[in-house]
Amino acid sequence: MEHRAQLSLQAVDCDGAIAEAVDALTGDTRADFFRKAVIGGSALAASLEAPALAKQGLPKKDTKILQFDLTLEYLQAAMYTEAQRLRALPPRTLDWAKVVGANERGHVRAIRGLLGKDAVKSPRFNFRGVTEDDRAFTETAVAFEDLTAALLKTQALQVKSRGVLAALVSLHSVEARHAAWIRHIAGVVPARAAFDKRTSKAKVVKLVDSTRFVVSAPKTSGRRRPKYTG
Amino acid sequence: MGRSRFGIALALAVVLIAGAVVAVLAGADSEGTSARPGLPPSPPSALAPKNVPVGPRPLAHWAPVLAATAARERPADPTLVGEVPTRTPEGTTNIVLATGAAARRAGELWVRVRLPALPEDAHGWVRRSALGGYSPVHTRLVVDRARLAATLFRDKRRVFRARVGIGAPGTTTPGGDFYVRNRLEKYQSPFYGPIAFGTSARSTEVSDWPAGGFVGIHGTNRPDLIPGRISHGCIRLSNPDILRLARLMPVGTLVTVR
Repeated sequence: MEHRAQLSLQAVDCDGAIAEAVDALTGDTRADFFRKAVIGGSALAASLEAPALAKQGLPKKDTKILQFDLTLEYLQAAMYTEAQRLRALPPRTLDWAKVVGANERGHVRAIRGLLGKDAVKSPRFNFRGVTEDDRAFTETAVAFEDLTAALLKTQALQVKSRGVLAALVSLHSVEARHAAWIRHIAGVVPARAAFDKRTSKAKVVKLVDSTRFVVSAPKTSGRRRPKYTG
Repeated sequence: MGRSRFGIALALAVVLIAGAVVAVLAGADSEGTSARPGLPPSPPSALAPKNVPVGPRPLAHWAPVLAATAARERPADPTLVGEVPTRTPEGTTNIVLATGAAARRAGELWVRVRLPALPEDAHGWVRRSALGGYSPVHTRLVVDRARLAATLFRDKRRVFRARVGIGAPGTTTPGGDFYVRNRLEKYQSPFYGPIAFGTSARSTEVSDWPAGGFVGIHGTNRPDLIPGRISHGCIRLSNPDILRLARLMPVGTLVTVR
């Protein structure tokens, strides 16, 4: 029996926030981006106080966007955490996984703080051996760092709260650093071009879908009469 | 005389200056040729909290069995040590405990797991693809057959202790290392109390029990017999104690019977 739910982007995109964000990957002009991405000093200050933002109440759209970001951060944090705990990867890989994992867990905690009571629970994951295979782990890590950076970049154009915008930009640069760093360690040029290429919705959906990492919980409890020896 | 004093002073000055130059050059060398360039560190965190450490290392990981498979003596080895079904006798998803790092053989990943089978502490290698996602285990229940007591530890910290009933002479509770496989509740059987946990331990003395004689941890309708050696192999607790334990002990918990 396969214990996975709908292993697709749609499965975790309960509110349509991700689809909306991905749509925008090809939607806005660069001028729009720079116009909307101007961050005021007060917004940056607000991002420093995540619980304060949560208390103020976030716009509904921002909440949905952050909820999906939280899900992606859960996925990344869980992958690094599992790799660290299993210790099946070479020490060289575990060294960077430890640093990046601590960042990702920090992202989870920070976004949960931003969302307050609206924070969604972590899905269950099956990494299908990726956390036990050096090459697969490195490739998957880069793919998800890139994906998250691309999404955050797009979502920055959509959020209404400047505090949330500042938070997304703060996350975005760190995800981009991760992708560059891991590439460098793997012997690949970290930034080949002057600008990131835009990606299509289909490509992002395909990437997340192909992992089949999000699964449903196994049924380990029941109501049948026990058959134990007594 | 005046000239010689001047000469000495000059010589001292030269020595001091030379020493200072050497020291400066040495300092410059230690920084300039270091593997670390003189770059500033990464910017400080904009959002609090900052980094979050991984936390205590789990005692083990468990995984559900997604596809019925055969456990082998070694990865990809033809020698079978047991069958691993997807379901327990109670209809819940079967789980196994991963006990070591995975190994790749012939392009396939294999995992060594503890099996719910005889003999006690049975292990085997199964395909990673037959298993679901790992869950970390942070709890261990230690059953002391001499003292008739069960103690639950979470990350080495004691969080629960209670007196228990164990197997009577002739139907003793097997000793060894096992794990909790499932949790049952709301069934119609006062004999097992309000909640029952199934373990991977199997009785070696009760061979004709339905479903193979798995040992459970459960409540009772005879609390007056606890503590004591009174069961067919199961570990019995008073109903208040099993309810308290159920709030603390997740599926996958290690069980050590000694």
